[in-house]
Order: sequence, then C-alpha cells, then structure tokens
Amino acid sequence: MTTGMENGINSVIPETAQPLRLPTRQRWHKLRTMTVILATQVALLALLLGFWEHMTASDKQAAFMFGSPSAILGFLGQMARDGSLWRDTYVTGLETLLGFVIGNFFGTLIGLLLWYSRFVSRVVEPFVIALGSIPIIALAPIIIIWFGTGLISKVAMSTLSVVIVALVTSYKGAIGVDADQINLMRTLGASKFQIFRKLVVPASLTDIFAGLKLTVGFALIGAIVGEFMSSSEGLGHAIFKAGSLYIIPKVFAALVATIALALLLTFVVGRIERLLMPWRRIQ
Amino acid sequence: MMGKANGVGVASTGPMAGTSMVPAVPLVVDHVAKSYEVDGKIVPVIGDLSLSLNKGEIVSIVGPSGCGKTTLLNTLCGLLARDSGHIRWYGQEIEGQPQNVGYMLQKDLLLPWRTALNNVMLGLEIRGVAASEAVDRSRAMLDQLGLHGFADHYPSTLSGGMRQRVALARTLVNEPGVLLLDEPFASLDFQNKLLIENDTAKLVREGGRSLLLITHDIEEAVSLADRVIVLSKRPTRVKAVYDIELGVERTDMMATRDSPDFSKYVRRIWADLDVVLQ
Repeated sequence: MTTGMENGINSVIPETAQPLRLPTRQRWHKLRTMTVILATQVALLALLLGFWEHMTASDKQAAFMFGSPSAILGFLGQMARDGSLWRDTYVTGLETLLGFVIGNFFGTLIGLLLWYSRFVSRVVEPFVIALGSIPIIALAPIIIIWFGTGLISKVAMSTLSVVIVALVTSYKGAIGVDADQINLMRTLGASKFQIFRKLVVPASLTDIFAGLKLTVGFALIGAIVGEFMSSSEGLGHAIFKAGSLYIIPKVFAALVATIALALLLTFVVGRIERLLMPWRRIQ
Repeated sequence: MMGKANGVGVASTGPMAGTSMVPAVPLVVDHVAKSYEVDGKIVPVIGDLSLSLNKGEIVSIVGPSGCGKTTLLNTLCGLLARDSGHIRWYGQEIEGQPQNVGYMLQKDLLLPWRTALNNVMLGLEIRGVAASEAVDRSRAMLDQLGLHGFADHYPSTLSGGMRQRVALARTLVNEPGVLLLDEPFASLDFQNKLLIENDTAKLVREGGRSLLLITHDIEEAVSLADRVIVLSKRPTRVKAVYDIELGVERTDMMATRDSPDFSKYVRRIWADLDVVLQ
C-alpha cells in the first residue's frame, strides 16, 4: 500500500494516460451498426416509393391525385433542363439564408445581451412572448405593404420567423450558466464583461447551435409563406402555381427541392458547429 | 465555548511568536453572522463565528452536514454579504472579492471549451498577464502537478483526478497567499485523493501559503492541517479547536495517518461532531 504512494506526483500518469480512442474492433462494430441503419433507411424509402409507384401506375385517378415517383422525377428533369429548378432554388435559398443569418444574428445578440441585466430582461419578457406568439402568416399582408413584393419582403418574413426563437434559445443558454462557474470567475477577479466574453458566450454556444438548427426550418417556412402571398419566382411560387393548376407531381418536385435545400442548410450549420466547438468532437 | 481561536498553533508558526511587529494575519474572521430568508422567515446559518488563519498555516474546518460551511466560504470570498461582524484580509476589510486568494470547489469547474493549459491560464488572462508569460507559468504549474503532456487535452478527455489537478493548477498559478478549498477532493477515490493531498500540502507549505480547507472528511482534516476547527450545528459557532501535532513529515499523507496520535484526534473530533443516526 505504502509503496504506491512513495513516488508521489508522477505516479498518477501511467494509469490515466489512456487517450480516448476506441480500439479497432469497437470501431469496426460502430461502423457496421451505422451501415445497417443506413441500409434500413434506404430500404424503407425504396419500399415507400415502390408502393406509391405501384398504386398509381394502373389507376389514372390516383396518379392525378397523388402524383407518382416517376412523374415527379420527370418534372424534376424538365425543371432542371429549362433552368427553373436552379433559379427557384437559388431565389428561395437566398431569401432563406438572408433571413436565417439576419434573424439569428440579431436574435442571438439580443438574447445574450439580456444576460447583462435581469431588470431589462424581466421588463421585455412579456413583449417577447407576445411577439413570439404571432403566427408569421398573419404578418404577411402588412409586410408586403411595407416592403413590396420583391426579395426584401421574403427576407423580412424569414427574419421574423427566426428572430424570436434565436433570442429565446440564446437567452436561455446565457442564464443557464452554472452559478459556481460565475463565482469562480469573480474570485479570479473577472469583470462583468470578462465573465460575459470568456464564460457566458462560449457556454451558450450549445444552445445557440440548437437554435440555429431549429431555425433553418423556420427561415424556410418564412420565405415560402412570403412567396405564397405574392411572388414571381422561388420554390414557394412554383409550388403555389403548380398547385393551383392541379399539377400535383410538379408540386412534389418543388417540394423535393425544398427538402434538399433544408437538408443542405442543416448540414452546413452542423459543419460550422463542429468547426467552432472542437471540444465536443472528442467526447 | 472557545470564543476566539486566535493563533494557537505556536509550535508550527514559530518565527512569528516572539516578534512584537507581527505582520498582518492573512485572514481574521471576527464575530461574523449570516442568515437567509426562507419564505419570509429568517433562518440563521452562521451564528457567531470567529477564527483566524496565519501565514503558512493549514487550517481545516469540519462540521456536521448542513452546518453552513459553504455559506461560510462564500461569505469569506465576498460572494455573499454578511449580516454582521468583520472579515479582515491582511488586516483590511474589503468590499467585493479579496485579491490574492485562490478558491476551489468539489466541482472542478473547468471550462470544457478550453484545453487544460488554457483553463490554467484563465486567471492570468483575466489579470492581463502577457500571453507568453502566462503560457510558461501555466505549463510549469501543470508539470509540477504531474500533468506534463496533458496541456493540450480538453477536460472531457481527462480523468476525475486529473481534472481536479488542473483545477488545483488553475488556483495555484495565480500564486495566491491564501487558498480557500471547499471539499476539493471529496469526489475522488482514495488513492487519487491521497496523491493530490500530498501535492497540495507540499505546494502550499513550500510556497509559504495559507490554506483554509473545508471538509467533512475528518481524516483528511487531521492529516493535512496544523489546526482543525470543529463547527457546531446551525446556527454555526466554533465548537472546538485542535492543534494537530503528529511529529512526522506533514507532506506525506500516509505517514501522518500512521502516526500514533492520528486516530486519537480523529476520535475526538468525531465525538465533537455528535453525529446521530437520523
């Protein structure tokens, strides 16, 4: 017993020096599990599409009402060839991206700054809740009157869909910081600004990114609802137009492009998260 | 009632005993009281507490569960306002946080987005020490605590014992005159605990620092400290004070536990705590 204590300080290292890397066999196992999951997902999708195709192949009325995977694919090809697919996706993508960035920037900034003053945050709380409970579509007529029918009104719709969510998630992250950690910073002599910059902001990153992922969808909804109200291009416009002409497969084709856009944006946010929070990769 | 438990540790703080110009005592707590308001009722936590911590001295505070030890620590650090009494750091009463005081809890409170090295540097960074100097000092501190080669690891990849060592390094790198530790090793297993206690004792005594250690572990209190202060139940007062003389090297936690008087102190403190099955 005593012998282990003798060499004091340096004896800690050997037993704990294991870097956290999985052994090959475990890694192989993990890879295999992921492959199985992916294969199941692909099979499920194929099954669904096959069923859809089968049910609509012989039934003209069903094909009209529900479209069919082959028809959707046909429209996607046609839209890609005439360029409308790329232009509509680009327009909606730009509106969504601008709304997403502007809304999250201001929402997060305000949410984090509210940490500074409990008084101010309590004063604004009911207003934030009230604003957050307004359905965005109810604002659309006013926004079109104020900002016209062009790009800006869609960006405004998208921004408004995002900003309150971003504000609330970042504020929750900021006030959720461990009180002991704040006390530690204070005993180290940190000023309020130093506590904010070195502790509160990085500690809120997890919540901020959760908000970012959530608001990708909201930004897209804002842009598409804006396009529904009045527009001459964009995926929302394509969906609306095809829908009013009863061209169901074309609605689905535009929907596929919308989903692809949402997945792309979510993927990019995930990449940025990994880049900005390297310490979470290692766990 | 012991009243003021001032400078009883004559044996261990010899050089100061005879001089008339006594340098300012690092910490004097003078009749401090603190209560909380719970549902409109005043609940006294600290009744009337006086104690002092001399230069180079290690003092342990033990007390029954829920006796307000953590409240005491936060009051000392200026994180909580006291109701009455005086707290003097180096002879002066101050507003806010005392300078030159290190603070460490059971939770390591490492920032997960900072590497071990950057966590240690936190205090130096806050005080505006030049980056290159901060890096050098922090690296040296990690090396001293046996964490050479782990400077660039994130806390999530370190074991509990290593994380607590990083926290200790973060406290010591600021070269505090006084350390306030609140159950810092309570979550560690016995072996890691003994090792880090050894290092703590060594670094504190070699640096001539003072240490106030709040703990519920009587053996830890006796093996580390020159003096053990036993607190009463709430409202907290000083119940008893023991000068610990074990006659062995005080930086070896196994030797102190082996010394014949060790269990005598432990038994008496245990009796003082008046622990009853609830």
